[in-house]
Amino acid sequence: MRLLIVEDDAPLASGLQRILEAEGHAVDVTPRGEDAVAAAAHEKFDLVILDIGLPHMDGFEVLRRLRGTASDKTGPTPVLVLTARDAIEDRVRGLDLGADDYMVKPFAMPELTARVRALLRRSQAHGGPRIAHGPLTLDTVARRAFLKGEPLELAAREWAVLEVLLAKVEKIVSKEAIIQAVAGWGDDLSPNAIEVYVSRLRSKLEPAGIRIRTVRGFGYMLEEYK
Amino acid sequence: MAGRSLRAHLLRLLLPPIAALLAVGAVVAYYPTIEPATTAYDQALVDIGLAVGQHIRVGANEYRFDLPPAVEQVLRTDRFDSIYYRVISPAGLEIAGDGDLPAPPGDAMAHDTMFNGKKVRVVSVQAPCGRSACTVLVGETMVKREQLARDMLLQSLFPDFLIALATLVIVWFGVKRGLQPLARLSDEIKSRSAGDLRPIDAAGAPSETRPLVGALNGLLEEVSAASRKQQRFLANAAHQLRTPLAGLQAHTELALAQPMPEACRAQLEQVHRATIRTARLANQLLALARAEPGARSSTAQVDLKGIAGGEADAWLRQSLARDIDLGFELETAPVEGDAFLLREALSNLVHNALEYSNRGGRVTVRTGRVNGHAYLEVEDDGPGIAQEERDRVLERFYRVPGTPGTGSGLGLAIVREIAASHAAAMFIRDGAAGGCRVGITFPHG
Repeated sequence: MRLLIVEDDAPLASGLQRILEAEGHAVDVTPRGEDAVAAAAHEKFDLVILDIGLPHMDGFEVLRRLRGTASDKTGPTPVLVLTARDAIEDRVRGLDLGADDYMVKPFAMPELTARVRALLRRSQAHGGPRIAHGPLTLDTVARRAFLKGEPLELAAREWAVLEVLLAKVEKIVSKEAIIQAVAGWGDDLSPNAIEVYVSRLRSKLEPAGIRIRTVRGFGYMLEEYK
Repeated sequence: MAGRSLRAHLLRLLLPPIAALLAVGAVVAYYPTIEPATTAYDQALVDIGLAVGQHIRVGANEYRFDLPPAVEQVLRTDRFDSIYYRVISPAGLEIAGDGDLPAPPGDAMAHDTMFNGKKVRVVSVQAPCGRSACTVLVGETMVKREQLARDMLLQSLFPDFLIALATLVIVWFGVKRGLQPLARLSDEIKSRSAGDLRPIDAAGAPSETRPLVGALNGLLEEVSAASRKQQRFLANAAHQLRTPLAGLQAHTELALAQPMPEACRAQLEQVHRATIRTARLANQLLALARAEPGARSSTAQVDLKGIAGGEADAWLRQSLARDIDLGFELETAPVEGDAFLLREALSNLVHNALEYSNRGGRVTVRTGRVNGHAYLEVEDDGPGIAQEERDRVLERFYRVPGTPGTGSGLGLAIVREIAASHAAAMFIRDGAAGGCRVGITFPHG
């Protein structure tokens, strides 16, 4: 994947570059917002990592211009915003301007790479018919699931729960959120019912090394496949 | 009231002129009333004189005075005073009566004088005797008159006394009432928290106190500007630290991912831990700056449940690394507060619980409401905090002796300050399974 890092702190920028290159990406780095806007106008990046606190043109302005280009409107480039500030207004403003995710400095590298993977996966899956997670593949058009290439039988509700969890790998999804996503209008799903679907999913997926962690009193988290 | 009492001062200022005015008033009222009364008493003496004069008999060469004893008895009788008389011929010879009774000087009709060692009033009456006139002097001691004068003086002084009393009462309560806005002002200032540097509302204050309120507000403004400046500095410093720390963390993690001698790796891991600790410290300093009294914090209606839920991912990663079962019991808990600070408070509590729990332990994050009070708390099953340490752990940089781990000793102090900045109370209680429950109870929202 082609990644662009816009960060004026040279040590941090080079660190990020090396980590993401180690993940197999082609990474360009620029310390200037103006250059980032110019580069994005000529080339299509799969992801932009954007620092808000840039000199001259700040990250918000860069984000605004990126979102304003014609090519971005057809297939928006995911933007992960980095900031040294954590004022809520900054966060809201960044997300309002179209940032896809937000990280406050400093952060652990595994966390950064996990977010980058999630963003790339989401943008690749965007409109795409197939979702992959380790040995698991979901064909969302045919509504068929495969595990290690073998067809996997999933009830409609199980499918729905799995889809919600797959959309947020490594993130806790609350039971309420699952109920909201799974239950149709007029359906009355209890949290206990969700537990039943998750336990059925576990018995089908765990033998293949796909783990769904229970977060006591809160919800579930589909772990990154290792 | 300590120092110079405004009341006493006002009374000192007001009472002497009022007393002087009243005294003048009393005198002015006294003389017009005492005049007619004196005249009436004098008239009675004149009547006696005329009656006495009728008893003068004119002979060829002499004057005779024949006052029957019974009549004299009647004339001289008075309930209060002794009455004297003296009859003098036109030639100035004594005819009868008390010969030493002093006549009014010159042409005067009446005068006050002394007789037999007593003050007397003497009037002079002309009584016809033959072709000329005899002089009859009638004197009377002053008992009645003095009594009357005293009564009249008292009567005119009594209302004056009431007026003076009323002045006292009016000043006493008037000052109290007049100073009520000041008392309200001082109540308002007293009831403020130390960090409340908002200007005082001068709308209800009397115009005379405006300069005072203005001066106070000026001072408050200066103090709060200085405090803002300091907080800005601290916040900037903390923010500025984050970017280089992120670089440091990135490179140590990169280096750790590469093969290297064990000794090197151990040292690099120390560097990595120190980096993370420093980052945490920067966050904590930022939180302290924001929780500082008078900080410009952005308060809004927030739900503690949402705040806890929003951080669950980050905490879960930490708990997995330490093999701790992190659980949640989140009920809606709306409070008026600063979301950043509340998140930082909760993060500090969770971090502490994860840090000091044993591997395989259990940590539970709770939010909800009890009796209408929103609360947040974190319970662990770690070693707990001894009763006698519970106050001290709230001090900045204090760590319980012998505590493992790498805390800065700021965590609970920050939680306490954040609680205080929300007018909320922090608590440390025993946990259900050993360990402790640490949290914040918020006031009624």
